[in-house]
Amino acid sequence: MPDWLLVAALVWVTLLLVAGGLVLLRARDAVQRLVAMDLLAVLVIALLALLSYLLDQPYYFDAAVALALLSLVSTVAAARYLSSGGPFE
Amino acid sequence: MISLVLDVVGTALLLLGLVLLTISLVGLLRLKDTLSQLHAQGLATGPGVIAVLASSVATENASIITFAALGIAFVVLTSPASGHAMAKAAHRRDAGEDLSPGS
Repeated sequence: MPDWLLVAALVWVTLLLVAGGLVLLRARDAVQRLVAMDLLAVLVIALLALLSYLLDQPYYFDAAVALALLSLVSTVAAARYLSSGGPFE
Repeated sequence: MISLVLDVVGTALLLLGLVLLTISLVGLLRLKDTLSQLHAQGLATGPGVIAVLASSVATENASIITFAALGIAFVVLTSPASGHAMAKAAHRRDAGEDLSPGS
């Protein structure tokens, strides 16, 4: 893959991150904020993957995989809190 | 030869992933209802990020491709679970009794 394409993709995903922040600001409900936060986590995963391709270093993928797992746990916990008032009810 | 094929496939997957992420963001910005937003968001958390991770074949770096496969496995396992939890929360909230202090 040419380097300029990876740099362009990094810039584009960063712009998408800004748009995701806009979605987060425009949300009218706590669940909508949760949806936007989950999307932002996914965009950061894509950003770390692209950085790993550009620098040819696999270490950035550690953070991406950890972020995927953390985003699942936090999203499920927050959704259960919002729907029933506690994570284990 | 094989390197050229991998390069083309990786570039195509990267462009496909970026297009899918962009469509998902447009949908999130335009749709108002929570469940509709969840529908648009599922495009990014499922196929979009999977295409971006799968474009790692173009790097031809074994450890990067292995980590990308691990990331795809995690995303495939976790994104339906979190989507289901959020849909359930939105459905319970729309259905009536507002139990939570948030919002």
